[in-house]
Amino acid sequence: MSPRPKLSVIVPFYNEEDSIRPMHAAVVKAVEPLGIPFEMVFVNDGSKDRTAEIALELALRDPRVRSVRFRRNYGQTAAMAAGIEYAQGEVLVTMDGDLQNDPADIGQLLAKIEEGYHIVVGWRFNRQDKLVSRKIPSKIANWMIGKITGVPIRDNGCSLKAYKGSVIKEIPLYSEMHRFIPAMASMAGPRIAELKVRHHARQFGQSKYGLSRIYKVLLDVMVIKTIVAFASRPLQWFCLLSLPMAALGLSLFGVGVIGPLLRGTALSLPLAASGLIFMSSSVILLCDGALAELVFKLGDIREKEFSRLTLEVWR
Amino acid sequence: MTDTVSIVVPVCERYSDVGALYAAYKAGAAALGRPYEFIFVLDGPHPAVAARLRQLLDSGEKITVVALTRAFGESTALMIGFEQAQGEILVTLPAYFQVEGSEIGKLVTALGSADLAIGRRWPRAGGWFERLRRAAFHKFLAAVTQLRFHDLGCGARALRRIVAQEIQLYGDQHRFLALLADRRGFRVQEVQVRQSQQDRFLGAYGPREYARGFLDIFTVFFLVRFTKKPLRFFGMIGVSTFGVGLLLLAYLAVARLFFDQELADRPVLLLASLLVVLGLQFFALGLLGELIIFTHARGMKDYQVEEVSQFPEVSPVRETGTSMR
Repeated sequence: MSPRPKLSVIVPFYNEEDSIRPMHAAVVKAVEPLGIPFEMVFVNDGSKDRTAEIALELALRDPRVRSVRFRRNYGQTAAMAAGIEYAQGEVLVTMDGDLQNDPADIGQLLAKIEEGYHIVVGWRFNRQDKLVSRKIPSKIANWMIGKITGVPIRDNGCSLKAYKGSVIKEIPLYSEMHRFIPAMASMAGPRIAELKVRHHARQFGQSKYGLSRIYKVLLDVMVIKTIVAFASRPLQWFCLLSLPMAALGLSLFGVGVIGPLLRGTALSLPLAASGLIFMSSSVILLCDGALAELVFKLGDIREKEFSRLTLEVWR
Repeated sequence: MTDTVSIVVPVCERYSDVGALYAAYKAGAAALGRPYEFIFVLDGPHPAVAARLRQLLDSGEKITVVALTRAFGESTALMIGFEQAQGEILVTLPAYFQVEGSEIGKLVTALGSADLAIGRRWPRAGGWFERLRRAAFHKFLAAVTQLRFHDLGCGARALRRIVAQEIQLYGDQHRFLALLADRRGFRVQEVQVRQSQQDRFLGAYGPREYARGFLDIFTVFFLVRFTKKPLRFFGMIGVSTFGVGLLLLAYLAVARLFFDQELADRPVLLLASLLVVLGLQFFALGLLGELIIFTHARGMKDYQVEEVSQFPEVSPVRETGTSMR
């Protein structure tokens, strides 16, 4: 067993047979001068071309390469999560396998982590992509993500990020969270820094993402916000939904029934019934909240565990 | 005993004479040219079948019989059978004449390039209405899952042991084994098998059969759409219901404010509030689903790793492993 490397460079590949060799060379060229023990984790996300073979070949020649092969294509979040799982370094750097990120930036990301940050996010300030189909939707999405989650990052979509291994390994990553890792990690309260990084136009192959869909991003972000803010007190969240409804229901009911009763005028069926609908719904929402408490209690997520990841003890 | 083929026959609601069935299957298994074993799982008390199996045992046949005290369903029966199996290759066969016993070889051979082989009865007997029904069912499933299968109802399958270990079947899921295996990243292959002469079904199925088919579609739909991203699914319904309700409310508000129509005598108000409330409820359910996933995210993985390779300088031993749930 070789000593634990200081740095792990995690690169997911999906049908990148042309990129994987140059990628390997570029990482080696960029990291070797830093003079630290490092490893590369290449995750092959069920590629249909020769990516897997080439990765194995590289692993044979270079003992620092660890090749993880998926049974089939599972998507980028899964690839990142697997890379993080199988990486052993103290600092983990993730990047895209399509050469659009520049490994030369790894050094400055690493320096930032040494300064004491838990997460360093790359910002592609001169992004080399199409304006309408890529840049504008991403601007909107980033603005929304920042607003809702309270983690204002200018470029969530940039794969080039560095993490303190001990922190990121404990953050659950699933479905399509790879765009929101910093937001997701915010449940542990990490110090996050942003760094300008280089960005190159695609050299090989095809871009794998079309127009990002704002609707999906919006729902995902809401989920993250709910989870980060309320996972440990779900009843509170459901109360927040339920109470305005109860108030609305009561006032409708009041206007439709109690008012006319006092004044001796005719009751209003639509108003009274709507009031009842809102009131009963608020009760059901409260019950949902109770159910959510139960779910959380039986689950395996504890806030204390997250606080441990980043805490400091001063004496 | 790794090249043993374990043949599991779950005896559920529908069965033929086991003696004749066993003889037919045995002939097929013998043609494999490798060791095999038979495991019959009695799903509930089937006295006639039990007596016949006892006879077979007494006459010296090498079979294993597992008797369940009540009917747990075919999925459970299969899982119990797999537990008893010794071989690396498992074959499931229906307890009635559905495919020719001689087709077992084809299924096992298909495992050379796949992890699960499922039979497709072809050419298939049956009236035009039956064909239409079957085609519609599989078309619909294909639309939901993007997977094209022709005969999920076929009980003849061959699978590697690892498939049975990773997929825990319950309820009626034995009918979707092929879909579930594919979703878990296994290679699934359809194999054409000859239908048994006695599997001709010429009448029309009863309403129960249709209800079951419909439920199957529903189940698959949820398995595929719901289990990963509940809020995407419920949110879609919720947002549209909520939106329609909100539009109606806006219309009412405009009518009240500018055209002086009393809110009190507008029955549309009822519909609007119902829709708004319903939308919120859907949304809340979706969030509840997301919470369940989040609180169990550590236990489940979105991916299956086939192999991890690294070649350390010191020892040229290849470190490989398969991560399992």
